[in-house]
Amino acid sequence: MKPSRRGGTSGGGIRKQRGPTRTDRDGDMDMERPGVRGGKRGRGDTGRSSGASRPQARARNLDLLETAVSGGGKDSQANIRQGQGSGSSNSNLESFSVSGWKNSKAAGKRDGGVESLTAFLERRMNAIVKSGPRAKITKSRVEGDILVVFVKRELADRMIRTNGNLWAGVNITVKRYDGSSTAALDHDLATSNGTSAATADTKSKMTEILSKRYFPESKILDLSKLGTDEGLRAMGIFNSTSTESKFFPALMKVWEMQFTNSTERREAVESVSLSDNQLANITVVTTLAQTIPDLKNLDLKNNNFKDASSLTGWRWKFRNLEFLDLTGNPISAVPTFKDTMLKWYPKLRVLNNVEVRTAEEIAAQKKTPIPVSAPVYQDESQIAENFIRGFFIGYDTNRPELVNGFYDKESTFSININTQAPKAQQTGTAGWDPYIKRSRNLLKISHLSARMSRAFTGAEKILELWNDLPQTRHPDISTHADDYLIECHQMPGLPDPTGQSATGVGGLIIMVHGKFEESVGGKVETRSFDRTFIIGPGGGLGGIRVVSDVLCLRAYGGNEAWSPESQAIPQAIPQAVAHPAAVAPAPVPAAPVPQLALPAGYGAPAPGKPDTQVQQEQLVAQMSAKSGMTLQFSEMALSGNGWNPEAAWKNFEELKAQGTLPADAFLPTA
Amino acid sequence: MTASSDTLTKVSTDAATELVNSFYPALGKNRDAIASFYSTTPTSILLNGNQIESGAAVQKIFIDLMPAAHYEAQSFDCQVINPAYPTITANGVKPPSEMTVKDMSILVIVSGYVRYGEGRDQPHRGFSETFVLVPNPSTERGGRRKGWLIQSQNFRLVV
Repeated sequence: MKPSRRGGTSGGGIRKQRGPTRTDRDGDMDMERPGVRGGKRGRGDTGRSSGASRPQARARNLDLLETAVSGGGKDSQANIRQGQGSGSSNSNLESFSVSGWKNSKAAGKRDGGVESLTAFLERRMNAIVKSGPRAKITKSRVEGDILVVFVKRELADRMIRTNGNLWAGVNITVKRYDGSSTAALDHDLATSNGTSAATADTKSKMTEILSKRYFPESKILDLSKLGTDEGLRAMGIFNSTSTESKFFPALMKVWEMQFTNSTERREAVESVSLSDNQLANITVVTTLAQTIPDLKNLDLKNNNFKDASSLTGWRWKFRNLEFLDLTGNPISAVPTFKDTMLKWYPKLRVLNNVEVRTAEEIAAQKKTPIPVSAPVYQDESQIAENFIRGFFIGYDTNRPELVNGFYDKESTFSININTQAPKAQQTGTAGWDPYIKRSRNLLKISHLSARMSRAFTGAEKILELWNDLPQTRHPDISTHADDYLIECHQMPGLPDPTGQSATGVGGLIIMVHGKFEESVGGKVETRSFDRTFIIGPGGGLGGIRVVSDVLCLRAYGGNEAWSPESQAIPQAIPQAVAHPAAVAPAPVPAAPVPQLALPAGYGAPAPGKPDTQVQQEQLVAQMSAKSGMTLQFSEMALSGNGWNPEAAWKNFEELKAQGTLPADAFLPTA
Repeated sequence: MTASSDTLTKVSTDAATELVNSFYPALGKNRDAIASFYSTTPTSILLNGNQIESGAAVQKIFIDLMPAAHYEAQSFDCQVINPAYPTITANGVKPPSEMTVKDMSILVIVSGYVRYGEGRDQPHRGFSETFVLVPNPSTERGGRRKGWLIQSQNFRLVV
C-alpha cells in the first residue's frame, strides 16, 4: 500500500510517512543494494524511534539533509515507483529544465518561489489542453539556477510550450533537460531517503570528510581531487553520476549545518579549491555559490571547463572574488577569457596567477562620482546623540517606555519596505510577512484610504503598531560605531507644540543607516534599515519630542558603502588601525597620547592630489595619533615598513621598548 | 484653518510622488532642470557627506562631473512635518489668514538604486535619500511652476 505523499512535501511530515512507503516492493532492489548506504540497515529499522526523541532543531536539520540528499521531498515517491535500477529509459517521465526564474518577484520567498512556479507551470499546461486528466508535475528539484521538473511523457509537448511564459515579472525558459544526472535518479544516495538513521550516517561521514579538508586557521576548504577521496569512495558516491550530482549539494548542506548563524558561516571560509575534479561545467557544484557566497579565492585548476558557458551559473555570484585559478582548463585559451572574467568579477585581482587589476584600480571602481565622505554631524549640544543612543536600546528592549518618553499625540510614524533593494551578499533574504501589510511604499500603495491607514499619528497608535512589529536587536552604538552611519543637521519651521510661535520652532533632522537582527522562524536574520527622525522641542524626555519618524527596511546591505573611499583599499588598512578607538579598549586609563593638530587638508582628498598620497597621509595621521610620534617620524615608520600599519606599529613598539627612539620623534606633551 | 486628514494625506503624497517621478529622471537625463527643484535658501544639501551650497551647485556638479547615471526609486514614503508651514514671502511671513492646505512642509524618504556609467550591466548601488519639501514661495503663475521645493536633501549610498 502506498500512502499519498501529496500533502507531505516538507518538514517533519516526510519522515512520518516514510516507514510505510518503504514497504513498496518496487523499491527493494535498489534500496537493498549492498555497500552503498554505509551502515546498512534492515528494513524494519527505520530510525523512527530515535527520531521521535530527537530535539526539534536537530530533527529539522536532518530533514533538510534528507531533502538535500534525496533531491527534494517530492521525489521520494517517484524514485521508488520507478526504482527499477536501470535508469530513465524505463521510466515514462521526461525531464525539463526551467531557468530564468531566479530573479522573479517571487525570489524573496523562502523557497525562492519554487512552489508557486511549479503551480504556475501546471496551470499553464492545463490551460493549453483543457480536456482529459489534469496535467501535473510529477516531481521537481532545484539544481542551482535551474528547476528540473519531471512530467509524464504525454505531457511533454505541453510542457515545452510553457517556454517563454511570463511568470512573476520574468520570462522563464523551459527546455528539455539533458543532464546526465537524471539517468539514474533512483540510485543509492537518493533512495537512502528511507531512514533518518542512514541520513544521519551519511551526515556523520560527510562531516568527517569535511573536517579533514577544512583548515580554519587559513580559512581554506580543500575540495580538490574528490574522486580519489577514500572516505567518499567508501560511501559509493562515485558509483553513478546521480549520486555524484547529489553528493555535492548534500556536502554543502552538511557544511552549513555546522554553523549556528549565517555570519559565522560566511566568515569561516575565504578560499575553496575544486581543482582536479574533472568538472566540465559547474552544474554539480553550483550550490557552492549559495553556501559560500563571499569567497575570495577560488581554485578550479585542472578541470575541463571549455568556455564561459560552462561557468555561466556563477556569473553573478562570488561578488568578492579576488583570486581565480583556471589553469589547466581549455577555457584559459579562449581569447576573451580574461575580459570575460574581469567583467564577471568586479574585484578580481589575480587570474591564473597573473595580476589583472591593481588594488588602486579596484579602489577606483568603488569610487563614486561623488566621493563618499565622512558623515556630517551638526549637533553641538549632543541632543541628537543622546536621543539616538537611547532610541535603539529602547526600541529593542522597551517600546512602550520609548514611545511615552519621546512621542506625543502629534508625532507621526510610518514604515516602508524596499523588497527589491540591492544586497551585500547573494544569500537569500527572509520574507517580509510581518511588515508588508504595514508597508507604506507609495510606489505600491496608491489608494488614499490605504495611504491613510498606513500612517500612524499619536503615541498610542504608534505603540499599537510597534507592538505588532517583530522584536529587534540593534548593534551597540558605542562598540559598533561603524555599523551605523548617522548624519544630523538643524531644521527650521517645525510646528510649535505650544502654538506661540507663528514662525515655527527649530529642531534637528537625523538620518540613521544601520542594521538589526531579527528572529525569523527561529533563525537570526540581519536586515538593513534607513530611519529619518525629526525632533523638536517638546514635553518628552530631555525637553524634546519626535515630530516625524520614517523607517525603511531592506535586505542586508552591509556597511562598506559608507566607509570613506580613501580607506577602502583592500587589506591596506586593517580595521584595527582604521578604528583604533573601537579595537583598543584601555582597561587601565593610559597616559594621554599627545595629539597633533593636523595641517589643513592633510589626509583629505583634493583636486590633483593622488589617492595614494591621501591614503598615506591618513595612515600617517593614524600612526601619529596612536603612537604620539610626529608626522615625520610616523611617516618614516610606515614607509620603512612598506606602508603596512601593523608592521609599522610593531616596529615602533620594539624601538620604543629598546629606547632607541630620539626624544624629538615624539610630539611635545601638553 | 485645519485641513482634514484625507486632504493632508492626498496633498502630501501627491507632492512626494511628483518629486520622485520628476527629480530622478532629471538627475539622469534632464540635468539642466536640476536647480529648479531647489529652494533658493536651502538649509542643507548633502551628497555622500559632501556639503553642497545650492541647487545651482548641484546642477553644476551633475553637468560637469557626473557620468551617465540612472536612478531608480524602489520604495518611498512621506509625512507632513508642519501642516501650517511659515513661508517667508516678499512681504514677510505669510499670515495664517492667507494660508491654504498647500502650506505644508513634507518629509520624503526614498530607497532605491543608482547605476553609474553607460550600459545596463553596471552594478546597482543602493541609496537612501531624505528630502524636506517646503511650499514654493514664488507667486508667479504658470503650468511649470513647482508647488514644492527642496529645502534640505541628504543622499547616501548605502549598498
